[in-house]
Amino acid sequence: MRERIEAALRASGADYTEIRLEERESTRVVFRGQDLETADVILDRGGIVRCLVRGGGWGIATFNDLADLPRRVAQATEGARAIEGEEPIELAPVPACEDAITVSLERDFRGIPVTEKKALAEAYNDILRSSDPRIVDTSTSYADTFSRVTFANSEGTYIEEERPMAGIALSATAREDGNVQQAIEAVSRAAGFEAVTGHHALAETVTRRAVELLAAPRVQGGRYTVVCNPRLAGVFAHEAFGHLSEADFVYANPKAQEMMVLGRRFGEDILSIVDDGSLPGLRGSHRYDDEGTPTGRTELIKNGVLVGRLHSRETAAKMGEQPTGNARASGYRYPPIVRMTNTFIEAGETSFEDMIRDIDLGIYACDAFGGQTALENFSFSAAYAYVIRQGQIAELGRDVILSGNLFVTLKNIDRVGDDFEWIEWGTCGKGQGGLPVSMGAPHVRIRDVLIGGE
Amino acid sequence: MLDRLMQQAEQAEVFELESEATNIGFEANRLKSFEVEETRGVATRVVVNGRLGFAASSDLDATDKLIANVLESARHGDAIPFHFPAPRPGPPVQVYDPELAALPTERLIEMGREIIATVLAAEPDAHVNVDLERRVRRATVRNSAGTEVTVETAPLSISAMVERVRGDDVVTLFEYFSTAVKDEGYRTFAQRMADKLRLAQRAATLASGRMPVLFSPSGTPVLGLPLMLGLNGKNIYRGISPMAGRLGEPIFDAKLTVVDDPTLDGRPGSSSHDDEGIPRQRRVLIDQGVLRGFVYDLKTAAQSSAEPTGHGERGLFSPPAPSFSNLILAGGDTPLADMASGIEEGLLVESPLGLGQGNVISGAFSNNLSLAFKIAGGEIVGRVKDVSIGGNIYEDLRRIEAVSQEAEWVYGGLRLPYVLLAELNVVTRQ
Repeated sequence: MRERIEAALRASGADYTEIRLEERESTRVVFRGQDLETADVILDRGGIVRCLVRGGGWGIATFNDLADLPRRVAQATEGARAIEGEEPIELAPVPACEDAITVSLERDFRGIPVTEKKALAEAYNDILRSSDPRIVDTSTSYADTFSRVTFANSEGTYIEEERPMAGIALSATAREDGNVQQAIEAVSRAAGFEAVTGHHALAETVTRRAVELLAAPRVQGGRYTVVCNPRLAGVFAHEAFGHLSEADFVYANPKAQEMMVLGRRFGEDILSIVDDGSLPGLRGSHRYDDEGTPTGRTELIKNGVLVGRLHSRETAAKMGEQPTGNARASGYRYPPIVRMTNTFIEAGETSFEDMIRDIDLGIYACDAFGGQTALENFSFSAAYAYVIRQGQIAELGRDVILSGNLFVTLKNIDRVGDDFEWIEWGTCGKGQGGLPVSMGAPHVRIRDVLIGGE
Repeated sequence: MLDRLMQQAEQAEVFELESEATNIGFEANRLKSFEVEETRGVATRVVVNGRLGFAASSDLDATDKLIANVLESARHGDAIPFHFPAPRPGPPVQVYDPELAALPTERLIEMGREIIATVLAAEPDAHVNVDLERRVRRATVRNSAGTEVTVETAPLSISAMVERVRGDDVVTLFEYFSTAVKDEGYRTFAQRMADKLRLAQRAATLASGRMPVLFSPSGTPVLGLPLMLGLNGKNIYRGISPMAGRLGEPIFDAKLTVVDDPTLDGRPGSSSHDDEGIPRQRRVLIDQGVLRGFVYDLKTAAQSSAEPTGHGERGLFSPPAPSFSNLILAGGDTPLADMASGIEEGLLVESPLGLGQGNVISGAFSNNLSLAFKIAGGEIVGRVKDVSIGGNIYEDLRRIEAVSQEAEWVYGGLRLPYVLLAELNVVTRQ
């Protein structure tokens, strides 16, 4: 295959050409309630060619049929020429490299029979179903994926990478009359079968929480001091702030650059946010991004001040900054765009007890069901929450949706915890399909957060 | 392939998907990318010893492996008491317009420029990303009962994302337009964005409280999404829909009528048959507030002892699941011009954030609004920032104040009117 790829690159008439091919095999076992939804194996194979012609635009071809790579290169080159005449696109230089990244899995899921994967999922699902008659629905999903990605460009880079991923997602729905409550937990890691075994206690947590939420009152809408647990604070770092630090938001928009000017203060000294794709074993980790740029640590907010942003080669060239290894693609259907890898709020010094001690009435918001941002505005829902009364964690509450303005909210972070936790699942949906990312944080306290609700 | 499967299975189905698309991308008001996409793949289902199996592949050289995978899947599968359908004719519906399928890329580029020009005329500081896509999609279902149905559609879709930054004040707008017949509707689509941006230039403040809330067609999905989940046969079978077991009951205000209509010419969501080869038909799901039906695919229908309704939809890599074709909230009897006229002080919801977040199946919604306007004295007076709404459709749709006569297509497959609720919880920073 290498010869065919390199021959196609040599034959290209474009100024820059890259080819990325992917071969993926996934096994999936899904239970809903007492039913097996599916236990299946998916084979996915395809590729993308991306070309740049001086003074032109990006020409892109994606395909499943890998037979005729030179034709795909020609299609992409034609596309790049067809839109010539607009602003020139430059790529920041990155040294050419050759590398082959192989993984050795503790328990390679490719050698484990479907019977065993099904038995594991069924065992979790049985725990979800059996504990309480008010549990009306459950879902247990097992998924493993092994991908081989080959990236090569006309500058001499040739990288082969194996990308494993194994995970389970557990959810339970409890119902009592018209009251329906859900709880979800998931674990997914770039690892072997060992990542998904031994989570029986997690399944018990899920059912217990779904049932407990039935009796929990809705939290009264209004403005509260909110303590976010690490898993919610991590989602906040990614959703509310991280997306604004992606250079494709600012690089073509001078007004947005003014808003996100380096050196601007975003928060108090205690707040530091980092993206690092080179940390070993996390969901967003790779040695290179999908343009062949080495990944690394990028400080975004340092002691409250904006100090960096995330780049592709194109955005870096346009802004005269260094590429950061954040050009990532959700599979062969998509060209790489600026994406986060593993994004986290660095641990601070406040203990959890000190954080809640002086709160008369507040919310302890835990985990996230989801989140969405429209730049300065964000909205996400806590999976569950507790009311804080007189410095103590009090009753469980439900339907807690946090929303607000990013700038105001970052400034209102007044305590950062001395603990830290990575989220063991995480998928970013920016623009394309889902992409594995990690998010991490300690407990974080935010003053004056808008909680929606009744 | 079907013949090979039939030698080893009681029932078999082969679903082939082929799709070719051209996509023109504008970024920050400039022409940026030209993309061609070719998709090919095969999915298959078999029933062996009464058990259902599924497998799929986009690897064109892997037929043997695909067959082995689907048979292995069936060994683990559940026993499902259903039969792949025998051939039946579907309604005539126009979803392939050769002129649209062959629309020149120069024309796509022109349309993109026109959309950007319209937006910039209203808001010179706007940065607009536009994607224009012309696609031909061919899906063929063959099964052991003799069905062989090919559905060919040629949708044109345009998505636009607008950002306007001024200081720390940001307006974002996302809009989607699609059609399966050559029409000039993209102009209205562009004009609508321009109108919203113009309105957003004035700021207004609003105090928290319970007040009248008017949902525009782009805002109405806040109410529509819990309805869609509640009407989905899968949630009926699972017993988690609050509408389960309530056929014939008046659940909502008589102003609410919900129809799924796959027979509309020129809509990308229309087709003669669903992705399982079952003929489609127009179905009234909620008739003047009374629950009349749900949407099922083969499997959920069999599980619920109901008839399949022709709502099996699938991508390549997933088994079919019930889904809507064109979901229509029927227009009401109030002219659009009169919808806001009686409102002393209230809110117009344009762009919700966080759709689908939270406990949607229970009917609950709670959304921060990325674009919303204050209504005072019957007029739209300016943009309200940092505002969120919350409620539950099973309470709040029991009484609907008014539904507009006019409706618009939003997000591709939804046709929605303006909906006015007399009282809803609104939380703002004031």
